[in-house]
Amino acid sequence: MKKLFALLLATVMLLSAASALAQTKLTVWCWDPAFNIYAMEEAKKVYAQINPDVEIEVIETLSGDCETRQTTALSSGQTDTLPDIVLMQDNSGRRFLDTFPGAYFPMDGLVDYDNFATYKIDKFTSGGKRYAVPFDNGVAATFVRTDYLEAAGFTLADLTDITWDRFIEIGLKVKEATGNYMLVTQAGYADFVSMMTQSADFWFFDDEGHPNINTNPAVRAMVETIVKLHDSGIVKEAVDWSEYIASFNNGSAGSTIQGCWIIGSIVLAKDQAGKWGVTNIPRLDIESGTNYSSQGGSSWVVPASSKNPEAAVDFLSKTFGASVEFYQTILQSSGAIATYLPAADGPAYSEPHPFFNGQKVFEDLMNYSSKVPLVKYGVYNYEARDEIVNAIEAIFNGASIDTALNDAQSAIEFIME
Amino acid sequence: MTALRAPRPKGGLERKTARKGWLFILPAVFLILVLSFYPMIQAFLLSLQKGSGNQLSYGGFSNYQRLPKDNTYVTALGNTFFYLIVQVPIMLVLALILAVMLNDEKLMGRGIYRTLIFLPCATSLVSCSMIFLQLFSNNGLLNSIMLKLGWVSEPIPFLTNALYARLVIVVTMLWRWTGYNMVFYLAGLQNIDHQIYEAARIDGATAFHQFTKITVPLLRPIILFTTVLSTNGTLQLFDEVRIMTAGGPGIGTATLSWYIYRITFESVPRFGYAAAMAFTIFIMVAILAFIQMKVGDRQ
Repeated sequence: MKKLFALLLATVMLLSAASALAQTKLTVWCWDPAFNIYAMEEAKKVYAQINPDVEIEVIETLSGDCETRQTTALSSGQTDTLPDIVLMQDNSGRRFLDTFPGAYFPMDGLVDYDNFATYKIDKFTSGGKRYAVPFDNGVAATFVRTDYLEAAGFTLADLTDITWDRFIEIGLKVKEATGNYMLVTQAGYADFVSMMTQSADFWFFDDEGHPNINTNPAVRAMVETIVKLHDSGIVKEAVDWSEYIASFNNGSAGSTIQGCWIIGSIVLAKDQAGKWGVTNIPRLDIESGTNYSSQGGSSWVVPASSKNPEAAVDFLSKTFGASVEFYQTILQSSGAIATYLPAADGPAYSEPHPFFNGQKVFEDLMNYSSKVPLVKYGVYNYEARDEIVNAIEAIFNGASIDTALNDAQSAIEFIME
Repeated sequence: MTALRAPRPKGGLERKTARKGWLFILPAVFLILVLSFYPMIQAFLLSLQKGSGNQLSYGGFSNYQRLPKDNTYVTALGNTFFYLIVQVPIMLVLALILAVMLNDEKLMGRGIYRTLIFLPCATSLVSCSMIFLQLFSNNGLLNSIMLKLGWVSEPIPFLTNALYARLVIVVTMLWRWTGYNMVFYLAGLQNIDHQIYEAARIDGATAFHQFTKITVPLLRPIILFTTVLSTNGTLQLFDEVRIMTAGGPGIGTATLSWYIYRITFESVPRFGYAAAMAFTIFIMVAILAFIQMKVGDRQ
């Protein structure tokens, strides 16, 4: 009896050990069910064909939470709380790689980087090593209700290749004709601060990485434009993200200017199908001003603390880094524009989009994407942006632009000391 | 030993009880040492280190020297004192008035009133902040009603105007904490003898005089206690600000605790600098509590 029991026990243990060997489990943190999580779930399906022994669990984690949790875990040394794969905002890449050296798993030689857009790879390169599989594009565009434009006597073409001043003129007429706001953004205009600056081929730092704010022509033009937008009354300033999304989903605002990933949220309002159009963004009225920029965009990184970093990289490189078919699928459902270059040749990119009244949206966005000025991001991107947001708030309250920008310049210099 | 204070006989039994007494508080002492004092010392050591992320090195008092030059810190300090100076007095006076009103035995259903006023205190700070966010946001309940009734033509920017936003946060804190302090006062009022009021009434004292000359002086220790507690709480104000405005517009509603969180978790992390800030709060709480004790406790 005892022997039988021991035999049984041994078998059970052996079996469980065997299954543990076969089953590698990878956990993933990312946000946005309509976009990143959806893409990850699709990637899971693709990889199940390649390596069925790997189990992948996606845990929805807001972008901000991903960052605070990583900061907490890395600074306290409790890295076992980290997942195997995390999605990271491109703007945060250098911050994590540079402030926590050794905390992420380098992917050189494991991922075919030749197939990705260079500007994406640069954002996650530190000390000559590359640390991320690039994901979505983040090219910015104007998403607008064409029925609102028509009500005021305009077409999508009238909104294309224009300056911000012209945008405000049109916006005032749209507001008059429809009673709705022309544009919605989150209060503080933080998204516009980066988007407009980059559109004019400038960034908050110069090539040596020094803060470049108070003598930066693009920053000045950007601040002036935001003040004009604020004063014009055509902009709905949403208090938080949900109010922002609600404002175009319920029609109280006629457009949003944002990274193309916002498509996932726009198409949620099914009753508005056919009433939307996409065009390039307004430009700053300075010499280097263009109608193209990017906003957001993110990449996949693997914390060095992962128990199976090679498995995690293998999963990423065979899905996000190798499958044109995969990108076709996620493009159609969520508008995830790839930075994986071969994906652009797939047929889905030239298909007309029914929600956008048959416009070949993805082709247009890919076209804009190739014209986005390449700027050099730094470690303190968000800090610099926030100081400019503070400066704009001060200007709204009566400060002069010169004083406010000088203050922002010295504030960011102080932070970087 | 003088005759007045005879030496206490130190019998074996008494020593034994004393030893047992120590044994009983030992776990608590141990927990406080490990969970409170040890982190405090570690935090102080951390506050002497500069650098970001996991690249820290000792830099003496450079973090402390940096503080007065940091505009965000100075603004957050100013905001924190704004909340303190505006909110604490209003809340305590309101709590006191409510307590006196609800202490009236002739009042019908005072149990229900007491419960209702105390109830906000049972909500978590996060849900309380979410509710007020819903009330005051641009398309929130309050603005919707006022727009419908035609009282305003544009929504009032409760949360996007710095002054309004600060006041909304004050209102949120009032709603959340007034009942809490009221309960302390109600408890204190139970200890005041009714005969004192009766005597005062016979002597012709008005209700106002009874309040200022009897109630307030006799409640002094409790008023002191609630003042210290509220000051301490307000200096560490975080949840409401983080949830309702995220410190904005700009840094218009930022508090010290919010800035500490930001430096630690949201921006390029500088733990040493954040620890130094936390220590300044610690020192301020200590100083304010000391002043309040001096002013409030005459004995």
